Amino acid sequence: MFSKSKPMWGKKTKLKSSYDVVLIGGGLHSLATAYYLAKEHGITDVAIIEKNYIGYGGAGRNTAIVRANQRTQYNVPLYKEALDLWPVLTKELDYNLMFNNCGNLNLMHSEAAMNAARMTIATAQFHGVESHLIDAREAKELVPALNISEDITFPIHGAMFHPPGGVVRHDAVVWGLAKGAAKMGVEIHQQTEATGINTKNGKVTAVVTDRGVINTKQVLISAGGYSAALIHGFLGIKLPISVLTIQAMVTQPLKPILNHVVSSGAYHCYANQTLKGEIATGAHMDQWPNYTTLTTAHYIKHQAEALSEFLPALRGVRFMRIWGGLADMTPDMAPIMDGNDQVEGFFMDCGWGYFGFKSCSAVGRHMASFMATNTCPDILKPFALKRYQEHKLMGETAALVSYTPDN
Amino acid sequence: MMNRFNHLPTLKIDVSDKIPFTYKGKTYYGTKGDTIATALYANGVRIYARSLKYHRPRGLYSMDGECSNTMMEVNGIPNVRTETTALKPGMVVKEQNVKGSAENDLMGFIDKMDWAMPAGFYYDTMHKPAKIWPVAMKQIRKAAGIGKLAPDHHMPGKYDEIFPSCDVCVIGGGPAGMKAALAAAQKGLRVSIMEARPWLGGHFEYRSSEYISRQTHHERAVQLAKEVEKTENIRVFTHTANVGVYNNNLITGFQVGKESDSFTERYIEIRANSVVVATGCIERPLLFENNERPGVMQAGCALRLANTYGILPGKIAVFSIGHDLGLETAVALHDLGLSIPVIADIREDGQDPAMLKAVLDRKITILKGWVATEAHGGKQVKKVTIKSVDGTISKTFDCDVLVASAGFTPLTGPLVVNQAKLTYDNHTNFFLPTDLPKKMYAAGRLLGFENAKSIEASGHLAGLKAAYDCENCSIADLGEAKKAMENLPGPARGTKLVTAPVKGRKTFICFDEDTSIKNIKQSIDKGFDVPELIKRFSGAGLGPGQGGIPGHNLPLFAAKYQALPDIKIKPTTVRAPLVPTLIATYAGTNHTMFKRTPMDEMQRKDGGIFRNIGVWQRARYFSKDFTCKKEIENVRTNVGMLDGSTLGKFRIHGPDALNALQRVYVSDLSKIKEGRVKYTAMCNDDGCVIDDGVVIKRGENDYYFSTSTGRAGQTIEWIRYHTRYDNWNFAVINLTDAMGVINLSGPNARKVLEKVVDIDVSNEGFGFSEYKEFKISDTIPVRAMRLGFVGELSYELHVPSSYMKSVWLMLKEAGREFKIQNFGVEAQNVLRMEKCHIILGQESEQRTNLLDIGLGFLWSRKKTGCKTVGVAALAQAEKDNTRLKLVGFKMENNGRAPKDGSLIVDDRVRGYVCTARNSFSLNEAVGMALVEGDMSKIGTRLAFYEDECKGELIYGTVVQTPFYDPDGKRMKM
Ligand SMILES: Cc1cc2nc3c(=O)[nH]c(=O)nc-3n(C[C@H](O)[C@H](O)[C@H](O)COP(=O)(O)OP(=O)(O)OC[C@H]3O[C@@H](n4cnc5c(N)ncnc54)[C@H](O)[C@@H]3O)c2cc1C
Repeated sequence: MFSKSKPMWGKKTKLKSSYDVVLIGGGLHSLATAYYLAKEHGITDVAIIEKNYIGYGGAGRNTAIVRANQRTQYNVPLYKEALDLWPVLTKELDYNLMFNNCGNLNLMHSEAAMNAARMTIATAQFHGVESHLIDAREAKELVPALNISEDITFPIHGAMFHPPGGVVRHDAVVWGLAKGAAKMGVEIHQQTEATGINTKNGKVTAVVTDRGVINTKQVLISAGGYSAALIHGFLGIKLPISVLTIQAMVTQPLKPILNHVVSSGAYHCYANQTLKGEIATGAHMDQWPNYTTLTTAHYIKHQAEALSEFLPALRGVRFMRIWGGLADMTPDMAPIMDGNDQVEGFFMDCGWGYFGFKSCSAVGRHMASFMATNTCPDILKPFALKRYQEHKLMGETAALVSYTPDN
Repeated sequence: MMNRFNHLPTLKIDVSDKIPFTYKGKTYYGTKGDTIATALYANGVRIYARSLKYHRPRGLYSMDGECSNTMMEVNGIPNVRTETTALKPGMVVKEQNVKGSAENDLMGFIDKMDWAMPAGFYYDTMHKPAKIWPVAMKQIRKAAGIGKLAPDHHMPGKYDEIFPSCDVCVIGGGPAGMKAALAAAQKGLRVSIMEARPWLGGHFEYRSSEYISRQTHHERAVQLAKEVEKTENIRVFTHTANVGVYNNNLITGFQVGKESDSFTERYIEIRANSVVVATGCIERPLLFENNERPGVMQAGCALRLANTYGILPGKIAVFSIGHDLGLETAVALHDLGLSIPVIADIREDGQDPAMLKAVLDRKITILKGWVATEAHGGKQVKKVTIKSVDGTISKTFDCDVLVASAGFTPLTGPLVVNQAKLTYDNHTNFFLPTDLPKKMYAAGRLLGFENAKSIEASGHLAGLKAAYDCENCSIADLGEAKKAMENLPGPARGTKLVTAPVKGRKTFICFDEDTSIKNIKQSIDKGFDVPELIKRFSGAGLGPGQGGIPGHNLPLFAAKYQALPDIKIKPTTVRAPLVPTLIATYAGTNHTMFKRTPMDEMQRKDGGIFRNIGVWQRARYFSKDFTCKKEIENVRTNVGMLDGSTLGKFRIHGPDALNALQRVYVSDLSKIKEGRVKYTAMCNDDGCVIDDGVVIKRGENDYYFSTSTGRAGQTIEWIRYHTRYDNWNFAVINLTDAMGVINLSGPNARKVLEKVVDIDVSNEGFGFSEYKEFKISDTIPVRAMRLGFVGELSYELHVPSSYMKSVWLMLKEAGREFKIQNFGVEAQNVLRMEKCHIILGQESEQRTNLLDIGLGFLWSRKKTGCKTVGVAALAQAEKDNTRLKLVGFKMENNGRAPKDGSLIVDDRVRGYVCTARNSFSLNEAVGMALVEGDMSKIGTRLAFYEDECKGELIYGTVVQTPFYDPDGKRMKM
């Protein structure tokens, strides 16, 4: 069963001079879009253009947490669909995506937070997504390592418990989708950089790359944190996106100690144990916009301080690796998915910040349908760019957020 | 226990001082100066652990902790690197990842199952049929991970942190590092050295070979260390591993405490002007079949076992090496009694003639152009096969130790994590650092120098360069040091061999993840062709020791396997922490930092139950009854006191103060009169309300204003940002901490206040919405406002923080006859809700604009030329009926209040409850909700969907607001 050792996403081929569809960025969203273009719409003359190697960006750097307990009715159904797709994709791709549906606990540290959580929980339940408000004692039963004593900085009042969420192996999703797409004829061109988009009369005509010009009528930019810069550079379209570094880290591997994803807004910290046994932890972004993926001394220390308080047993384990990636944040913490708006044939799927892993399957599917039919599926409509012009934010975050000094 | 040398000058142990410890439940003895691993070795232990995947026996290999081979559980702490951890009396040491023991591991059979586990096998298995996955996952979880940690594990010890600064920080306390430190220090600079080992000296320290005539390397190390230690402006941190290097030369590390230290470990963060990295080299592992069998060890490990710890590694040792340090080790160990049947030297030529002569003088056979291809022996090395490098001729030797080392790997981690690039160098076969960041220099062995003089001279030069950056060194001095280097030997030629001629099924490129050469080939064949992808797919370098073992072998091998014409591919990215670091150590001394108001202590005495609110701690309740019935009734019928000190308080003054206020506040503040209080709000560019508060004009161009608690921190920045192009002349001062606030509320408030102050507080003398400044007892300045947040007669007194306690006590005393009571934040929450006064963040969310929450009346449309933030968006949003609007509601049939956060639904979500309570004042359930515009009309029926309601809805109706005292008579009385 293991003897065949062919390249999983096809041999390195020549870049053709034209494709029906070009997708810029070899991350999760492009790969998923390509996969569904081929699978559900029979569009296989597709090229994915990736500057480095697939999974170089957020796709290979995220902490792979998946859940469907978002705040608004626009988001919950989309994420629910994505959550339901993991087992389906595992089967379709014949590739084990290692979905560990261990459940997520979102800790609450005040009465106000408990009430805010209740709204999110009611929204989930209303949409058929399992989610419950539990008290501190119940949380401790689920997570014996939790410190529910009163004398920590942010005492735990309870938690939002979302049993169907969990963790998926992010690399497997990248490789599995690449495998699945390539099998149906999609070409994946690594080490190829998109450097421009040509238009004529308001329509896309070609994508320029460092390996030549590709004629095409449709192009999608879903290049993770780089999207906003590319879209502005190629087409002059300005997006309300701030790009910030987000860091994550893992400890040395341990035998099972943490059976859920545990997160805390007050501590700016989440932690879960990977199938390899590492405690993966991360959460908030650096507070200054930048395009580097550099880590900072204070962030790893901050994480240690936070974990020391609410999961004190972890004081006895060692961090072994920290890394950074980019989070492209919109003002309302919801993505921008749009197409054929200012330029015909141009589609974008970006602003996914630190939550673009969990959504990629469903989003790829709907973006594929959008591109194949040139009609925006209802489920994507609320994510159009024009919401910002109309000053109608999504409500995905209750709190005021400020990524740049101006908002 | 074996006999240990006690006469070598290089020894760091004291054989006369025995240290007891427990291993596998039995008591053993080490000696003072031992690491845990050397103590075990001396007691005959050779198998320390079993490997992660295949449960292969593992032993002492490198002595610097690059891999998990000797990780054990010590005193309940998992994954302790026993080869670098000092032995302490009473330590309890256990094996990890074994069923049975490391010696006899029941899981050992898995080693034979490798055929079923090619690289990335788990992605291709265990998902068909889908239902086996959950079962398989449980097994994977059990098998994965090495150490065990109990969920209630309590970490003993004291963890400290320090944040020193210096001019020059030297990472690595070997000869190059010490020379660099001395050079910089002699220029008068403050220097710090971080050295991972417990002593200075680096690779000179343990070598008894000749440095110059009549001085050994060891003696030279001691000499330099003495010089360093007596130099007052050098601060030495030994036993301090450097773990991170960041922008602008921020260096982090952690120090392991000695017995005399007050800390177990401490986090060290040094800000340095310039940095010298002189971290030297580790050995590059030699790859052959069973290259990690216990008994196989690197040259430095074998030499240090003997010279530092007084242990002869075995009886008969075969050597398979590729550098002169290997020869030197053979000579040294031979002289200590080790029998060496053969040295296989990868190099056909190029050996140091003196070394070669020393080998031949001792009649040790040396085969040039030969290499070990297989270690035999089930659990420990018993025999070794060596072959000519081309694989044609072979010989086998009995032995119990195989000293194996392909070459060196420079420890460039500190440079690389700070963004230096690595470039392959054909001469040294190193990936050498290039594009070094500013004010950062490399020196010593990591640049490929092997000659002792060159190493020292390069350290000296780097130290001067670092001093030059601090403007303490002349160009002439630098020139001299450079010239000195030119006359010394340059970097040595490095061996290129990575693997012996083997198929590679049991040739491990990464020990921690049991990744074999075969696995690497499988990965590349599948399309994972760059080291970064190979690592992810095969696991090489992902284990507890990270890239320590596979490090530079991986890119070298990947280039070779793909027959790349030149080695352009790079090692995988090295990441912090360069040495795995305890969470306890990173956390250091835990600091909780909340602000406390001046009334904190008094309120706690009065039974206040406190909560963290933003950066503050505030009293939320004053009894265990969290409905706050008594507190609420007291305010409605009598008089209560609330600590409002967390409110943001600001002075803004100067000729353009009004312009600035007009820019950020929606109201027209040019109209406000002195002596009046103006309530107003700020919006962001989307028209969304970000803050509300009052503005008071205290004099010409001089205003006092308040913000909500949460916004106090951002307010000055907000104003500054939104006026940044105007060149206006004004100043804003944050008085939040300088002033405290007491809210005196309730129908008896006046009666209390008049006892304390001299001014006329009658309704005529001090009316609603008025502002007064006066002094209490001619001393305490008070800024008083008549407001009505809770809907009763209220006075808000702003007083300098230092007087707050006095005023508080005076009011309490004055109120005694009325039985004045405290009330907390929750009571205030209910009181103001009954009045439909909003709290931002509770009745609003990020997307809520001024109009949505019914504060449109604050917006002055007539105000022109102010470019007020957010009003353009408000004008646009005015006609939009799809937005969520704030409404008040009552429950049907006298029903209970819905829980906060409940949804308002029909066939979809139409809004949600912000705050709702069963009101004691009104005797019914009321609340406020944000609902879509078309549902905001009075009389609209609302259906509430609560969490866990299972579809059982409860109902209410949109009603006029406020609920309580609609005409506002009570607050104006
Ligand atoms: C530390 C971290 C933790 C995270 N945790 C989670 C989590 O737990 N759950 C979750 O849902 N999400 C998480 N995310 C977010 C998620 O990873 C991203 O939102 C998502 O990966 C972005 O979508 P993508 O994969 O399509 O883009 P990316 O993977 O970022 O792909 C962008 C690709 O575009 C390529 N590219 C850039 N410019 C060009 C060009 N000019 N030409 C061609 N190619 C180009 C890049 O090389 C890159 O490979 C996390 C992100 C980070 C950084």
